Amino acid sequence: MKPNIDELLTRYYEGETTLDEEKQLRDFFRHPERVPDHLRQHAALFHYVADAQLQQPSADFVANMDHKMGPHPVGRIRQLTSWGMQLAAGVAILLIGFVGGRFYSRWQPNATDPSVLAANNEPEAASMKKALAFGTMTQTSASDRILAVNQSYELDQADREITQLLINTLNHDANVNVRLAACQALLRFEREEGVREALIQSLRIQKDPNVQLTLIEALVAMKEKRATTHMQWLARNKQVLEIVRLKAEEGAGTLTNVSNSPS
Amino acid sequence: MFSAPGRLCTDMDLLAFKQRILPVQNRLFRLATMFLRNREDAEDALQDVLMRLWTNRQQLETYQSVEALAVQMTKNLCLDRLKAHARQKAVDQVDMGNVVAEQLSPHRQTELADSVDLIRRLMNELPDAQKLVLHLRDVEEYSFEEIEQVTGLSINTIRVTLSRARQRLRDGYLKLNDYEAEY
Repeated sequence: MKPNIDELLTRYYEGETTLDEEKQLRDFFRHPERVPDHLRQHAALFHYVADAQLQQPSADFVANMDHKMGPHPVGRIRQLTSWGMQLAAGVAILLIGFVGGRFYSRWQPNATDPSVLAANNEPEAASMKKALAFGTMTQTSASDRILAVNQSYELDQADREITQLLINTLNHDANVNVRLAACQALLRFEREEGVREALIQSLRIQKDPNVQLTLIEALVAMKEKRATTHMQWLARNKQVLEIVRLKAEEGAGTLTNVSNSPS
Repeated sequence: MFSAPGRLCTDMDLLAFKQRILPVQNRLFRLATMFLRNREDAEDALQDVLMRLWTNRQQLETYQSVEALAVQMTKNLCLDRLKAHARQKAVDQVDMGNVVAEQLSPHRQTELADSVDLIRRLMNELPDAQKLVLHLRDVEEYSFEEIEQVTGLSINTIRVTLSRARQRLRDGYLKLNDYEAEY
């Protein structure tokens, strides 16, 4: 072993030893009691190296470093949670809105929200009745009522109740547009009993020229001769707008002609 | 959750960073201790290097070897500080006992501690390049290729530098020992 160590040492000082050989040397000098006297002078360097290899930063330092790099991940985690919280808050607000909407529509049964009603899968007729029910006018907006009226287009046939509802709307709704919508909706159900009569009656009730004109045109198109007297009444009525009177006169004339025509 | 790559990536960064740097941390500390000869200063320098690496963690990917980069940074930082302060405190002797086998007499232990301290003083007098090469080779057990990566010296130059450093330590030790032995 000794000659080997001597030879290794020589090569070591020449910088020729391999890492393995250097390890052998360090191992050899690790046990001071085994090192022969003539090699002792070389031991110090290997002891120094062995000593230096054991040094490492204190635990305090490592903890401190972790802490210094800590704020970054902590900041990130906080950002992440706040981002997650934002998402959760968004979902919560949506849910609250949805549940609140449902609750609101149940709590105030006459109020109508077409989308909610559609979601409830209630038949259009029922929701329509709800919206147009007599006495709820103050609780619903005009657009709600127009929507409800328009829902009647989805019905293949209307019962007496529906047409009566539409007639009521036509005659008594506060909003011109709702009355117009009801008028147009009713035209689809002209074959139902009472609808034509109601339209004819309505000629005398309506005060708005728009609705009056629509009614006159509709009745003329239907060739409803029973409307002739009402139209003549309109044509003579001084309170009615000039254009409506002219239209009524023209309509009355047309209807009379139709009745007098040979066909 | 995984649609926010930016934030998660930085979290992954920390993990990757720790995995890559922490094993090197002790090496950097030993290197800094060798240059600065003082635990506190070495820890201070190491902290600086780690923080710099952490701040520039995005660019670390572009380096071939992060360890080589870290060692270079540590060396440069230590040399800068030595230049700036030009002060030298002895390294704490706390770790000294580790090498010494327990069955040795106190007298022998002191002798060994003295000899190690002597080498440490001799080390300090070596030129920086010799110090670095000797440290990387003997303490950190780097291959010549790895030393080449860190120092940029050719393998032949490294071999020569290493040989000179080892011989100077041996000769210096012999000289001082003989000199001290006379008293």
